[in-house]
Amino acid sequence: MKKKILLVAVMALLVVSAFAGKVTIWSWRTQDAEVWQKIEALLKSRGQDITIEFTAYAPTEYDSKVNLALQTGTGPDIVYSRRLPGGRTQVLIENGLYLPISDHVDLTYFPQASLNSVTWENKVYGVPFAVQVVGIYYNKDYYDQFDLKEPTTWDELVANAEVLKKNGIDPFFVSGKEAWTLTMQHAMVGVSILGPEWIKDLTEGKTNFLDPKFTDVNKRLNDLKIYYQNGFMGNSSVDQDASFAFGQTAMVFYGVWGYQTWKQLNPDINVGYFMVPPITADQKPYAYTYLDGAIALTSNVKNMEDSIEILKFCATPEFGTIFAGVTYNIPAVTGSTLPPDPVLQEALEVYSNHASPYVYWVGSVFTTQKPSLYDDVLSPGMQEMYAGKLTPEGLSKMAQDAISQWYPPLMNK
Amino acid sequence: MSIKLRYLLVFIIPAMLLYTVFIIYPLFDSLILSFFSWPGVGSRTFVGFKNFQTLFTGSYAKELFNAFLHNVYFFLLLILLELGLGFLIALMLASKIKGAGVFRVITYIPNMIPLVLVGFMWGLFLNPQVGLVNQLLKLVGLGGLAQPWLGLENTALTTIILVNVWRNLGFYVLVILAAILDISPDLIEAAYIDGANNWKITWRIIFPLTFSTFRTLAILLFIWSFNIFDTVYALTGVQAGPYRSTDVLGTLFYRTAFGGLGSGAVDMGLGASVTVFILMIVMPVSILYVYLVEKRQRSA
Repeated sequence: MKKKILLVAVMALLVVSAFAGKVTIWSWRTQDAEVWQKIEALLKSRGQDITIEFTAYAPTEYDSKVNLALQTGTGPDIVYSRRLPGGRTQVLIENGLYLPISDHVDLTYFPQASLNSVTWENKVYGVPFAVQVVGIYYNKDYYDQFDLKEPTTWDELVANAEVLKKNGIDPFFVSGKEAWTLTMQHAMVGVSILGPEWIKDLTEGKTNFLDPKFTDVNKRLNDLKIYYQNGFMGNSSVDQDASFAFGQTAMVFYGVWGYQTWKQLNPDINVGYFMVPPITADQKPYAYTYLDGAIALTSNVKNMEDSIEILKFCATPEFGTIFAGVTYNIPAVTGSTLPPDPVLQEALEVYSNHASPYVYWVGSVFTTQKPSLYDDVLSPGMQEMYAGKLTPEGLSKMAQDAISQWYPPLMNK
Repeated sequence: MSIKLRYLLVFIIPAMLLYTVFIIYPLFDSLILSFFSWPGVGSRTFVGFKNFQTLFTGSYAKELFNAFLHNVYFFLLLILLELGLGFLIALMLASKIKGAGVFRVITYIPNMIPLVLVGFMWGLFLNPQVGLVNQLLKLVGLGGLAQPWLGLENTALTTIILVNVWRNLGFYVLVILAAILDISPDLIEAAYIDGANNWKITWRIIFPLTFSTFRTLAILLFIWSFNIFDTVYALTGVQAGPYRSTDVLGTLFYRTAFGGLGSGAVDMGLGASVTVFILMIVMPVSILYVYLVEKRQRSA
């Protein structure tokens, strides 16, 4: 009997020691592995004996993997979670698989806009980690060569494209094969041309997608396609990265996450950024910014104490500094020191002063049910319009028909 | 010799258990799930026939019909190319031409390449500006034909099917070749002695004697054509662009079940109803296949 008790005690000790000090983290971002190595080293140097086991899964498989693991009790302590509003995260919160962190972590370094994307019923689920800024990234050398200036109106943007085209440079590279990049393009043009007030009215049902202003955005984009590279409907974002990094094109509609890739491909590339210009110079331009996600505590947590310590650290500017230094992304936590790079600084400035408070792509209510504006309307619709098979008016109707099926403010409009 | 029941059970039960857990249970669970709305977590909400209504007459009706037609096109073109070309190449290899062994290996090599790599490779080959395909066309003076193959509605699906043929042809060649080599050489020799030419031997002797193999392959191709997902996913993604022109039931299932892009809504129930539709198409043909195989074994 004594032997049995001893054996059980040893086993229990082994189990406890196996988890002691180890925190498991899952993510879809492979590029963050180095961030966690640095954090682990830093915490250890401060006497916190925490080992971080970071695992990244393919983004396409990630959500199903997390869902299944958390329901079967085999999930990690911490996961990267998607933003709210969004069906994927909401069901995990509603079923108690993500735990609120408001009582454990000081979130004073986060603007309310970021916290809104992780808050459900007045509780915060996760520490926001990165914000993305989308807009037009351009090759400064071409702009200098042809004496072009950052456009302040849509017409100036078109005029710049015309100059570049006349000089044998592809003004824009568009990855038409990947429909998500086209929806992103529409969304970033929308926030500046339509403006946040119009999008707010749309969200409240005071206007709808059949408004001529929305059709005007479709038309402007359709008219711009003469400045895209030949065969753009067959190109991917990987093609775009290479083409832009090596100076085969002057401008891309993209996000700040691409910057690190361009610099890796060609360290000499001279990149600039501007928001999509509005119709007239007296309108304020807006940028499409969104929270990429959060670092969330799961109900499967085995090492609560150390996991909380990690989350506390993620809520400090120190985390933001490490994160930005490795990934060249904009950290969600304020007060961080970014690498001394003008593009990142500008993206941060834009995020702070020009972020559109209302949007209709990622992070918007229009993507939370089916048919979704993202998946089922703009993705196929933009491709169809660019291929000349759908008119700008047709795209507006497609959007209205789809969203009015389930979004009450737009029903019967 | 009679075998005791308990010994029979020892051999049958493990296989039956595995089959039940991995085939029967998921099959029935999918059938049941198609009557529910379920985001993948938490409780399921019974919705009756709503998912089927959404699929057949609601907001997904157009996409379902479109994807179904693409599966049919996939099947017809695969039959023509994989069995047709497979037969021609198998005939050539069976005629013992010089280097037939090497050629047989070469034909089969693409089959060994992982599909993710196939998608990556052909993504590069089909790049509109610098891809191998368009560069070759320009090199031989056919630059006018160069185009964004995966970016045009008229060419994207056919291009994907051709990539599929490139990858799988070797398998069909090997199966048909085995069937041809199974024919007694005496029959062919006798036909030659009686004055038959190659054309007559091919269509009067070889084809009829390998027909059962073709029938089996055609049925398998039908089943695979309606389950196709991976090649489309690897080349044009879950959005099956441009504007759903490469959409098949497999990609439609993925989008409805897993929510497609970003924070899209997830509905496993709606996805399950797509799989039930696929099952309704594939099941009768699968039963026919099993019947024919059984019949062949009995007559053998």
